[in-house]
Amino acid sequence: MSASAIAAVAVAAVAFVATWAAWAAGGFAVDVPWAPAWDLRLSLELDGLGLLYALLAAGVGVLVFAYASAYVPRHLAHEGRPRREEARLHGAMALFLVSMLGLVLARDLVLLFVFWDLTAIASWLLIGFDRANRSARLSALMALLVTTITAVLLLVAILVLRAEYGTTQIDELIAVARPGWAVALAGALIAAAALAKSAQAPLHFWLPRAMAAPTPVSAYLHSAAMVAAGVFLVSRAHPLLALEPALLDGLLAIGLLSIAVGGLLALWATDLKRLLAYSTVSQYGYVVVMLGVGGAAGAAGACLYVLAHALAKSALFMTAGAVTEATGRRELPRLGGLARRMPLLAAGSGAAVATLAALPLTLGFFKDELFFHAAAERGTWLAVAAVASAALTLAYLGRFWGGVFLGRSDAEVRPVPRRLVWPVVALGTLVVAGGIAPGPFAALAEDGAAVTAGGPAPVDVAYHLDGRTENVMALAAWLAGALLLVARPRLQGALSALARAGEAVGPERVYTASLAGLNALSNRIHDVEVRDLRARIAAVLVPASALIALGVVLTPTGGTYAVGPVELEDLPLVLVLAVGALAALATTRPRRHLRLALALSAVGFSLAVVYALLGGADIALVAVLVETLFALLFVGVFSLIPARELRREARRRSTGRTRARNLVIAATSGVVTTLVAWGAFSRPIPDDPAAERYLALADDAHGKDVVTVILADFRGLDTLVEITVVLVAAIAVATLLHGRFRA
Amino acid sequence: MTSILTRYVARALLAPVLIVSVGILVKGYADVGDGFAAGVVAALALLLQYVAFGTDAVEHALPIRWAPGIAIAGLAIAVLVFAVPMAFGEPPLEHAPPAGEEPVHLGSLELITAVVFDVGVFLLVIGAVGTIIGSLVDPDREAP
Repeated sequence: MSASAIAAVAVAAVAFVATWAAWAAGGFAVDVPWAPAWDLRLSLELDGLGLLYALLAAGVGVLVFAYASAYVPRHLAHEGRPRREEARLHGAMALFLVSMLGLVLARDLVLLFVFWDLTAIASWLLIGFDRANRSARLSALMALLVTTITAVLLLVAILVLRAEYGTTQIDELIAVARPGWAVALAGALIAAAALAKSAQAPLHFWLPRAMAAPTPVSAYLHSAAMVAAGVFLVSRAHPLLALEPALLDGLLAIGLLSIAVGGLLALWATDLKRLLAYSTVSQYGYVVVMLGVGGAAGAAGACLYVLAHALAKSALFMTAGAVTEATGRRELPRLGGLARRMPLLAAGSGAAVATLAALPLTLGFFKDELFFHAAAERGTWLAVAAVASAALTLAYLGRFWGGVFLGRSDAEVRPVPRRLVWPVVALGTLVVAGGIAPGPFAALAEDGAAVTAGGPAPVDVAYHLDGRTENVMALAAWLAGALLLVARPRLQGALSALARAGEAVGPERVYTASLAGLNALSNRIHDVEVRDLRARIAAVLVPASALIALGVVLTPTGGTYAVGPVELEDLPLVLVLAVGALAALATTRPRRHLRLALALSAVGFSLAVVYALLGGADIALVAVLVETLFALLFVGVFSLIPARELRREARRRSTGRTRARNLVIAATSGVVTTLVAWGAFSRPIPDDPAAERYLALADDAHGKDVVTVILADFRGLDTLVEITVVLVAAIAVATLLHGRFRA
Repeated sequence: MTSILTRYVARALLAPVLIVSVGILVKGYADVGDGFAAGVVAALALLLQYVAFGTDAVEHALPIRWAPGIAIAGLAIAVLVFAVPMAFGEPPLEHAPPAGEEPVHLGSLELITAVVFDVGVFLLVIGAVGTIIGSLVDPDREAP
């Protein structure tokens, strides 16, 4: 194992143990105000819901990272890439884990939003890990765009809630929120962001594409982490959503749609990982349905479902990776008969499949029991839909496992490292243990469900050998699933037609078309604006002048545009301004570049003198320095350009039309600027309480130069942001010119 | 090649300009100037060296390849001044000593954390300008 792999596993293991220990010690909370004026707090707290998702992210993380330590070096070797790139993947995985932990612990919506976007960025790095592969890059971009554009909806929801209730703390919001337009709007936006993250229809299309990522990434992001973040958010905000029953009905509808779309496409797909991706869409549909049912039953079912699904689905993704490593194949029809060659893998993934298909003696049996219970409580129609969903799940999972491990094929099986197998076995053992002794798992789900339901939500799991509704529904589902599995070859035509229809008119087409449209629009604007430098300047100056002129016309101008008396003591100022004006006029004359640069500097230096005369010593100093810097930079840059080129450029004459156009643009912007400057300077000076306060407080800040005190103390945050921009600009320049930033 | 006069002036000015820039920095709180102005003054000294002596000579004589590191260090210092008060339960960027308390004097220089923040700005400006100049004067060179 490389050092980076060990570090990633260690991070996950420490996170797992620390979360567990913190919970055992009675919880954990941090609350630091970081922008008190806006009441923004760095508040993290571990509750039952956070515990469930944190343990999943960290625990599955340990196994997947261990798997990755064996998988990624082989993957890089297949692609002929250097082994050191492994560190990038492990680093991004660890970043993802940490963002996920932050997300589930955050109690402030703004903080939650920050972690939400961090997970999106980490997922972009991970999905696009094979950066030489165009389809991987496009898939990464798709996942990033779908999840971050919808994340903006989450931000809007946060602002709506803050405007209405004056807080972004989740607990306070839940306490004060009442049904109304604000909750309805914010709830809908939150749900939209969350459902996009959980790859629910119709925004499910990014998930199968994201299978371009290396298998460990899929095993982590699309079982226990990224898609789980979506349903986590719905669970976290559920007390808010539950205020508007229409929102829950919407969840129910989208969940059912996702179950159907994901399930049918999983039944159709032949690529191992794509099949599992569609299955994830469908399985999170179950969770969304249960959150839509709501109440104690729905919350309990959702939490146990997330737990069982994350364990089993990561095992299945890792199985797909191990199978492809062993045989070099990833299509179901070309695989088969691996049970004899890879018995441990077959057993481990068999347990995982059994869990997802809800067979007895696995943890999954109880997840479906709760699902059936919640559905039957809601109504007969949902009970029927639930049985159909479970049958579909059984059918495509049976097809997956049977297609890989049963039957026969001509595939040559190479031995794979043990670390590609034992994580699957460990997860398989875990879900079987959960089927025999579900107590600890139920307790974990119960603590989580209590948060979602806003009250006790018992996770009541046990085997009952009687004719209760759930058992009848389960039997019906197995029977129907088995029939579906047998009948599947006959359905192939219909399923292919469905998949083709989805490709032809589905949401992915909308995504591609809107992306292409935006790109074309941006190209058009770019062509218009950047044809040459003058056109670009005109594109800024002319609209700006028009807008400002409009502002001048619309603003009342009483008392302005006066001409005051000019005293003798103003003589120096007038002289300097005259020099500046002459210099400005002089810039229109020279044809040689150096002279032009010097004339421009002359304008700048005269303005610096004006500042100094008006008492702005600090501004004058900076103006002098910046002018000097630019003069020197001009000299330096001109010395890099061959003199011949400079002379040729200087000799160029512009056509009459260009000159006329330049004249109009210059005159327009000049006249408008004059009007504004005149209006602004002749306006009566308003009282500025802020300025007075700055002056009064400068002493308390131990400063005698108020400008410096403002920059470093009163408005220090602004300065910090500005210098960050300076650094980013430097990095951009160095990267554009050098191709890299040498730190 | 620049004239001998330019080169002589550039060489003679380097040390005084750097001293002036440090002066502007530490006296910023009592007098005109601040970290930004000080950084630009130092960067000007650097730029003058480039114009007078050319890329190779400057890079041989001055640690210009550290410029990106210096910029990052500057930002790190500013962020530290921003973040450290939070560890003590204060709002971010709360400067010490607090109002009404007399700071430690070194001669006429007052030791306050706002000056440390300004030092961060100063280093960042030098580093960023150094990086940009270094890239502009020699865009084709292979990065080491």
